[in-house]
Amino acid sequence: MNIALTAAAILLGLMIQSSTAQESNSQPDAISPRSAAVQEEDGQWLMAAKNYASTRFSGLDEINAMNVKDLKVAYTFSTGVNRGQEAAPIVAGGTMYVVTPFPNYLYALDLTKPGAPPKWKFEPNPDPSAQGIACCDVVNRGAAYADGRVFFNTLDSQTIAVDAETGKELWRVQLGDINKGETMTMAPLLVKGKVIVGNSGGEYGVRGWIAALDATTGTTVWKAFSTGPDAEVLIGPDFKPFYAMDQGKDLGVTTWPPNAWEQGGGNVWGWISYDPELNLIYYGTGNPGPWNADLRPGDNKWTAGIFARDADTGQARWFYQWSPHDLYDHDGVNENILLNMQWDGKARKLLVRPERNGHLYVMDRATGEVLSADPFHAITGTLGVDLKTGRLRYNPEKEPKVGRVVRDICPAAPGAKDWNPSAFSPRTGLLYLPHINICMDVEATEANYIAGTPYVGMEVRMKAGPGGHRGEFSAWDIAARKEAWTINEKFPVWSGALVTAGDVVFYGTLDGWFKALDARSGELLWQFKTSSGIIGQPVAYRGPDGKQYVAVLSGVGGWSGAIVAGDLDPRDATAALGFVNAVPDLKQATTPGGTLYVFALP
Amino acid sequence: MCSPCHKVAGLVLLLAIAGCEREEREFQSPPPQSGDAGAAVLSTLSPGSSAPQATPSPTGRKYNQNAYHISEGKRWFRWFNCNGCHANGGGGSGPALMDEKWIYGGSIEHIAATIRQGRPNGMPSFDGKIPEQQIWQLAAYVRSMSGNAPKPARPSRNDALNPGPAEQQRDPLPTVGGAAQGPR
Amino acid sequence: MRTGSRLSAAILALFLAGCTGLPAGLDPAGPAAEMITGLFWWFTAICTAVWALVVLGLGASLLRARPADDGASPLDRGSARRISATRVVTALVGATALVLVALTISAFITGRGLAQLRGEQVRTIEITGHQWWWEVRYSDGGPAETLATANEIHVPVGEAVRLSLRSNDVIHSFWIPRIGGKQDLVPGQVNHLDFTIDKPGIYRGQCAEFCGFQHAHMGLVLVAHPRDEFERWFSSQLKPAQAPRGAEARAGQQAFLSRSCVMCHTVRGTPAGGKIAPDLTHIASRSGVAANTLPMTRGALAAWIADPQAVKPGAHMPRTELDSDELNSILAYLEQLK
Repeated sequence: MNIALTAAAILLGLMIQSSTAQESNSQPDAISPRSAAVQEEDGQWLMAAKNYASTRFSGLDEINAMNVKDLKVAYTFSTGVNRGQEAAPIVAGGTMYVVTPFPNYLYALDLTKPGAPPKWKFEPNPDPSAQGIACCDVVNRGAAYADGRVFFNTLDSQTIAVDAETGKELWRVQLGDINKGETMTMAPLLVKGKVIVGNSGGEYGVRGWIAALDATTGTTVWKAFSTGPDAEVLIGPDFKPFYAMDQGKDLGVTTWPPNAWEQGGGNVWGWISYDPELNLIYYGTGNPGPWNADLRPGDNKWTAGIFARDADTGQARWFYQWSPHDLYDHDGVNENILLNMQWDGKARKLLVRPERNGHLYVMDRATGEVLSADPFHAITGTLGVDLKTGRLRYNPEKEPKVGRVVRDICPAAPGAKDWNPSAFSPRTGLLYLPHINICMDVEATEANYIAGTPYVGMEVRMKAGPGGHRGEFSAWDIAARKEAWTINEKFPVWSGALVTAGDVVFYGTLDGWFKALDARSGELLWQFKTSSGIIGQPVAYRGPDGKQYVAVLSGVGGWSGAIVAGDLDPRDATAALGFVNAVPDLKQATTPGGTLYVFALP
Repeated sequence: MCSPCHKVAGLVLLLAIAGCEREEREFQSPPPQSGDAGAAVLSTLSPGSSAPQATPSPTGRKYNQNAYHISEGKRWFRWFNCNGCHANGGGGSGPALMDEKWIYGGSIEHIAATIRQGRPNGMPSFDGKIPEQQIWQLAAYVRSMSGNAPKPARPSRNDALNPGPAEQQRDPLPTVGGAAQGPR
Repeated sequence: MRTGSRLSAAILALFLAGCTGLPAGLDPAGPAAEMITGLFWWFTAICTAVWALVVLGLGASLLRARPADDGASPLDRGSARRISATRVVTALVGATALVLVALTISAFITGRGLAQLRGEQVRTIEITGHQWWWEVRYSDGGPAETLATANEIHVPVGEAVRLSLRSNDVIHSFWIPRIGGKQDLVPGQVNHLDFTIDKPGIYRGQCAEFCGFQHAHMGLVLVAHPRDEFERWFSSQLKPAQAPRGAEARAGQQAFLSRSCVMCHTVRGTPAGGKIAPDLTHIASRSGVAANTLPMTRGALAAWIADPQAVKPGAHMPRTELDSDELNSILAYLEQLK
């Protein structure tokens, strides 16, 4: 509980701070270098997103734009698993917790000792067969810490709580069935004594859900499905969606062909944010299944959208659908950054969402109203968002059809930006977006649902988008609604972003470079070549010695790096659901790995 | 009659007969006999001085060379969602099948056994779900993906979006060897 | 002589029997078929008349006495004769052209009439041809009123129906003789066929374009109901499959879900969601199995499931090794899927 309160305090502080930052955004020089929130920075990193507002902003400023060039490796640690390392290392007290891809080892590293030797290792022994139903590598996006416990999910759909001190298992619960294709890869979020988790499996016809478990016992407090009757979606009298398209009874049934919602996807494998003031959690739902949209006429509620739910009861407050009747596998699970700032002259509680469909949404997080939806990437698949109805308009020319190859759909299935989270600095007012520049050719095919096997129905061939580069790292000015600067990367950027009070932004590349940029200008200040491609989430913490450290996991994989992690064959353009064709040269650039790198100033 | 004419006629007849075998369509598999499945060995190591002996099966031989079985196998590969994990041979959540690396053996008997039994790191067992004849057809098609079937028997094109060179255009790759990249 | 006439009477009866009943082409059941039948009779009448005239002319010339042999070459005719022959030939060619033009125009008028038949309130049904069965999809209403069934089309009487025809593999052709003309199902293309049915009834159809081994066994049935009966049928079909009743049927459902059936077939309301074979959610409500190759009886269903390759060699339904208990329980289960 203490942790939750602390986190809430930090969030509030951040909100205050962000509003300060926004007010002064028009005059960047006037931003105060230190604010109350920064002083409250405790130097820990308790959840993957750093705080409930999901800013991934560290208040530490020992490492800054001036001295970052001197950054050196402090220590490294091999996870022993050479698959895609998407997790954020978690730091609580003097210990760092790292969860690996399958077989989901959980390590505790003792930061008080030189070289941070392992304190303990917890092996959950998940069912190895679960590897066969992980669409996009056997990744895990991190653990969460609260009240002396570490919580994480395993690939075979278990949530486990481990004693942070001893590494002993406290409880574990089986939440999904691998024979239905259900897996869990997301990082849990701790809210008011509850562990909030969700499932993966949008490519296997798995019905998505989010559940809140009691943190002390693991028993389910509430569980809300993403498709089906209102009672199972936890839609009740409090449900007040802003737009007419999301209003109605049992839309989770009536916007699907009969019974199709049972295999409808909408999985909750991404990020959850929490607003303690409104007591609402915000999370996105994944793509509807199958990808072939002809097989599921209708809006396919409540997939590819965002829910606001009461954190105590799970009752839905509002919903907004990014991609009604999604055509392109545009999961709506990306991070939601909660900011309090001026919008059109009014102080508002905002939710900022860089969405897979290439639009950056700014919403009112109390009501679910879309205030703006600006493209941050070249888009051909859709024609913008109608702010009156809230509806995304599809481009009929790019609609996938059976028996016809549709070319040059941008962004491709992984979207303009996939799960890898952005970071927001209240000091610059900029959102730092790691994203990708990939388009695709597709042909819809018949899809056969066999429980526990893929349910896709689409042949996909991806390729570099306009300009020929495949990745970008951009800074987006939220108040000005435009891009501040952007850096082109050869490979898709599949790592998370981190920004610190030292005005330095960190991210990694698929070919293994860990980079530090000036948060204001985007100038490359420092880079280090790690042993493998980076798809992890960088974090910053203050060690027991009082120094600031920056940590990141290196180990290529995930959907983008599957060609290396899974040793796939680039002669087949459709390998890894088409992603291999976009990165056929990645095997020459990097090899599989699984190493934690921690940097500090000498 | 000239003797070259005889030779040509004989050759044509021979080709025609070979073509028949390649094209023969057997809709119903005869009931399996013992020894039909062959003995698939996963190791090249055996105590004593001799290496373990794998026994090729007559069933395997028959399916391996028949265009009808291979093309049926290609249909099942799509219909039973094999392509969901292995794509069109390049792999995805499952390993690539068009390359020369065979974690659980690359003979048709190995592949049939892998489909039937499943493998511990994600390959489901299709025993009881896919009938025996369809398993052999699938196995024959999987082998053809790395060019391991007579060229005229291999599929020459894809019905959907072109994913790369057709099975017929691929050079035969060796199919021996176990795990090339650690456990899967 | 008596046996001869009896035989010919029997043969005639056999031929005439072909003109009525389920797939009869000359017993129209809707405006489209009526127009086509009308055209057929019109063509038949004209062609018969022409044929009769030709036969008469031929007979007349055969019977007419040959002119006395005047010693001249039979090829050397007088100029007067030549002129009259030219006139006759010209007149006959002219008449032939006239008849052909008349037939062409009448065919064109009928074609235009068929094209204009489309009523205001059109119900669209998607038909997809597969080797060797028909997928039928109703998707006119909201998404929740999307219905998939197979080999049996139900329509309300008197309502304009538009079929949109696709193929999943090779070219097929849709033909229900009593309803209207043929229309091909071509892969990668959508064709349309419009019709209205006047009389309630059951109309048999057939694939009319050779499409592989079992082309001959790619039958379909169209059932025309009065409006309210159709609505009842439609809403009962929309419901998920009913839960099995009785121990045997329950065991049958288990067997269905754990054996090959689950790889290809859908039974809505269960985990079986296969999309590459006919939807079996309400299979027992249909009148035939194996694309109407066999009637819907327990015995026929058993024969089909036990050895599909014996019934339809080359069909894509493989033989599954089921023991007799499993087969019986699966039959018990399927029979309940009304």
